[in-house]
Amino acid sequence: MRAQQSTPRISADGLRMAALLLFVALFTAYSAGPFVWVASMSLRTTTEIANSPYGLPWPPHFYKFASAWFDSNYDTYFFNSVSVVLSAVAVLTVVGGMAAHCFARYSFRFKGLLYFLIFSTIIFPPQVTVIGLFQIMVEYGLYNSRLGLVLVYVSIQLPVTIYILEAFFARIPKDLFEAARIDGYSEWAIFWKISLPVALPAISTTIILNTILLWNEFLYAVVLITDDDKRTLPLGVLRFLGDQLEDVGMIATGLMIAIVPVVLIYVFFSERLIQGMTAGAVK
Amino acid sequence: MAIVALDNVGKAYGDGKIVAVRDVNMTICDGEFMVLLGPSGCGKSTTLRMIAGLESITEGELRIDGERMNAVPAKNRDIAMVFQSYALYPHMTVRDNLGFGLKRRQTDKALVKRRVNEVAASIGLTDYLDRKPHALSGGQRQRVALGRAIARDPKVFLFDEPLSNLDAALRVSTRAELIRLHRELRSTMIYVTHDQVEAMTMGNRVCIMSQGKVAQIGKPMDVYLNPASTFVASFLGNPPMNLIPAIVGEDVIDSGCGRIRCKGFQPGRKITLGLRPEDLAPIDSAAEAVISGRVISMESLGAETLVHLDTGGAKPIILRGGRETPAQLDEILHLTCDLSMARFFDADTGLAITPGDKK
Repeated sequence: MRAQQSTPRISADGLRMAALLLFVALFTAYSAGPFVWVASMSLRTTTEIANSPYGLPWPPHFYKFASAWFDSNYDTYFFNSVSVVLSAVAVLTVVGGMAAHCFARYSFRFKGLLYFLIFSTIIFPPQVTVIGLFQIMVEYGLYNSRLGLVLVYVSIQLPVTIYILEAFFARIPKDLFEAARIDGYSEWAIFWKISLPVALPAISTTIILNTILLWNEFLYAVVLITDDDKRTLPLGVLRFLGDQLEDVGMIATGLMIAIVPVVLIYVFFSERLIQGMTAGAVK
Repeated sequence: MAIVALDNVGKAYGDGKIVAVRDVNMTICDGEFMVLLGPSGCGKSTTLRMIAGLESITEGELRIDGERMNAVPAKNRDIAMVFQSYALYPHMTVRDNLGFGLKRRQTDKALVKRRVNEVAASIGLTDYLDRKPHALSGGQRQRVALGRAIARDPKVFLFDEPLSNLDAALRVSTRAELIRLHRELRSTMIYVTHDQVEAMTMGNRVCIMSQGKVAQIGKPMDVYLNPASTFVASFLGNPPMNLIPAIVGEDVIDSGCGRIRCKGFQPGRKITLGLRPEDLAPIDSAAEAVISGRVISMESLGAETLVHLDTGGAKPIILRGGRETPAQLDEILHLTCDLSMARFFDADTGLAITPGDKK
């Protein structure tokens, strides 16, 4: 009896924690696995990958990154991505912020209808609208132009930007705006001096969210851009896809070049992103 | 400094279906401290917001220094307002908060800086100028809100229950601070509160509002001593005035539980007799008692004792006694009152009447 009593027992809490850790480990492996595999392939040649798809990247071929950057036009793709995404995000932030400010603060005729119209655009999947959009872009001379792509990006991300910001603006006490009105400021000045700075957590969230989503955007870019010099990073892989051969090793290298900025943004700003998403959820 | 005049001012919402304020007539003199007092929903804050320009005026006219203000936007009225929530800009330092309104009107940065420093020194915030509002205590935030208004040197100061969020001790000291401020600045100030202590101690005059209308305007003690209606009588004073239904007899008014000698009213008329708890005093003789009743509870507050008497009416009668309890529980107590302190109200309209009124 005494020997039985001294046998170490696992408590219910310990079991629960072990199960949780197992689940988290499996989930991490499931989510991060493909990324690790692509990262590994980015340092291997296509021949090495064909011989052993899951082999370790040894010796690592770092020159592949330089080769993609200088020989495969990735520098151009990178700067195209930067210019298109930064422009779209800047316009989205200002226009989305203004629209959200109006929806949150003012009562005006047809407000509900306008709100519905803006949000109705997210009901349709992009595959449905892309053909019509293609036609419009051709007719307005915006096809195969970075400006056209910026406008499309603004339009597809505007509803969700307004949605996030409007919810935040609505929570700012109206006394602040009234105090600013009494202090002598116009509605325009109040937006720039009060609304935007106070809503900085939500603004940061939308900036990060839009940057990540648009940086990775493929469908509209592949339909609306044809010139190699106007391509964005996600289209860079097309360069390694031939009719007869797919250069899997270089595709992986290209993907890593495209992914790294997004990962860095997420690593450095994830805390702020989460803060913005959950702001006000807990008092 | 300015004269603020409201002429039949009213506010209605939803195509006139919901009336929040109606027929407000008052003139707030230059340098006067006017308190708008009333229970929640009486229209006092709406009236203040109409003066501020934060609510449109749907009826009547508002004038500041003789100039019609109905259509003038808030930013051009040259007024400053202190909000209940303080409404400090959370992303700005105390210095920027104090100077925010000033910068809009004064482009000389050196002057703005000097004024901000002056104001900060006058309200004891010099050491906190570089802090943001979240790093301040409630009292300090309140002072920043006050400072922001002072810095502008406006024509009129408006206060919307600015002490409500402070604890009791801080409220008392800030009240004194505001009184000092008014004395120094000699500005026109309009102050909204539901706290009668604030109204009694701070205002040159008090405007009591009820259901969107002005119930009475006057100096605090005048309003306290001579309420214009049963509403004012029951709202002002803690505990409030005892209101006892009574019938006029021959040279007496019979309260059902006692009588008071009084001439001038038509015999048989139903009235409401108003007696302040502090004006009642115990006597031995039941025959001379204005009110008699059984003691049902006693509240000893240290400096005074409140004795509740059941006289058979809907509400108990309250006597404010001294430190020593003047009665025992369940004892029958007889109370008298100086006739000059008794107030009379019409039983139907609730309005004050005086002996000799015809009706």
